[in-house]
Amino acid sequence: MTQQPAWWHRFHARGVFWRQVLRFAILNTPPWLEPIAMASWSLFFLMWGTARRGVMRNLAVIKPGSFALVNFFRCYRVFWNYAWTIADNVRFKELRTIPDWEFTGWKYFEEMQERDGAILLTAHMGSYDLGAHLFSETSSRRIVMVRAPETDPETRAFEQGRAAEGLRIEFNTRSTDLAIDLLSIIRDGNIVAIQGDRVTGEIGFLPATVFGRPTRVPAGPFALALAARVPIYPVFVVRLGRRRYRLMTARPIELVRSQDRDDDFRRAVEQWVGELEHVIRDRWSQWFTFEPYWPELAA
Amino acid sequence: MTTNVIINRSAVRWLPSRHRFALAQLVAFARLRRGEPQDADGPDHLILPIDRDQSAAESYAVAVWVFLTVASYLVAVLPLPLPLAIFAAIPLASIVIHIPIVVGGLTLRLLLGDNDHVKIVSVGTMSLLIVWSFYVTHGDSWARIVAWLFFGVLACNAIAALILWLLRAEVQAEENQCAR
Repeated sequence: MTQQPAWWHRFHARGVFWRQVLRFAILNTPPWLEPIAMASWSLFFLMWGTARRGVMRNLAVIKPGSFALVNFFRCYRVFWNYAWTIADNVRFKELRTIPDWEFTGWKYFEEMQERDGAILLTAHMGSYDLGAHLFSETSSRRIVMVRAPETDPETRAFEQGRAAEGLRIEFNTRSTDLAIDLLSIIRDGNIVAIQGDRVTGEIGFLPATVFGRPTRVPAGPFALALAARVPIYPVFVVRLGRRRYRLMTARPIELVRSQDRDDDFRRAVEQWVGELEHVIRDRWSQWFTFEPYWPELAA
Repeated sequence: MTTNVIINRSAVRWLPSRHRFALAQLVAFARLRRGEPQDADGPDHLILPIDRDQSAAESYAVAVWVFLTVASYLVAVLPLPLPLAIFAAIPLASIVIHIPIVVGGLTLRLLLGDNDHVKIVSVGTMSLLIVWSFYVTHGDSWARIVAWLFFGVLACNAIAALILWLLRAEVQAEENQCAR
């Protein structure tokens, strides 16, 4: 029997209460007061010490030699962008309001849709949910999103009850069954979207070096690409301003099967990490990784 | 797409129908008529929805204006030396602005259900601000200048609405041409 969390867990930073507050705000806040609400709530959530410290530690690696005080203010920018991003996501789900979309790498984006199955590899940046929703509405291909479930059970139930229509979400907790399902989805000519920047829970990983420090990236997307013989398209959704996003598609990663499987993976991971670093360096204020990213920082 | 969207026309950003207040719509109309040079380094593809609340500049401008107005009213009533009053008014203004959203939103939720109440809360909040500003204009503190300024902006908006009404055929034609 699963143990029910204590009632006060709903008020934790990842608890369901704040999701309910956000939904309430979306349904009641005049758009011309939104910036005030965002500024206030971003400031309020700076009190979330674990996340603040996680972001600041990551920023110290992304911007070597930076001062802690400067990174504190940068941390506020991360929280500010996160607040707008999740608000835009809820606004889309509740009111079907879509933001302005700009695309770069359009030829790769079109190429991805024309292919017979592909993997879309993204990061915890911008509104990946909103990007996936946009994709599901504009593309003739079906898109299946793979992501880590919410850690809080009530929050998980709340989010699952409000998932947008037409978008299938799979959680990466049932790895073996899921791999077979995803392979079949790709072979049917569809697209699987996976977040490939960090390893959450007990999932397979590959070693990588990001910003000169050793870390791990999920092995799943690379193994899937090799098995399904499809390319991986690095796609990032970044927020440009209020209700304005850019979807950036990079050159695809082609995994070529050789005698040395580890070397195949290594080359693919290197290309992925190159794209990831480039985007994070430019858009550090939108990398929503609230835990220390590198194992040595967590230790 | 469920919303009305225009593809690959950057000038659509300046459609008056992508702005909420008449003053912003009039400025947008002037920009639309002036035309915008095509940006060679711009994005490969654009999707722009037609939504009255899409303008960032308008939203931020109104938010700053409302915030400064409320903060000024609070500074004037706080029984503190001016520097301290300013310091205290900044967080207080933010809290005060949240009150109509929270109270109005919860009341509407009880009365009308768990739906979209943005329009009602928006009208209610602006009405409260007008009443408060009217009250301040009748006082003898320096904040009455801010209150008159507030009414000045409202008057400009009303004039802009009148101009837009007179130009409604041209505005419609320009919008249709741009969105075609």
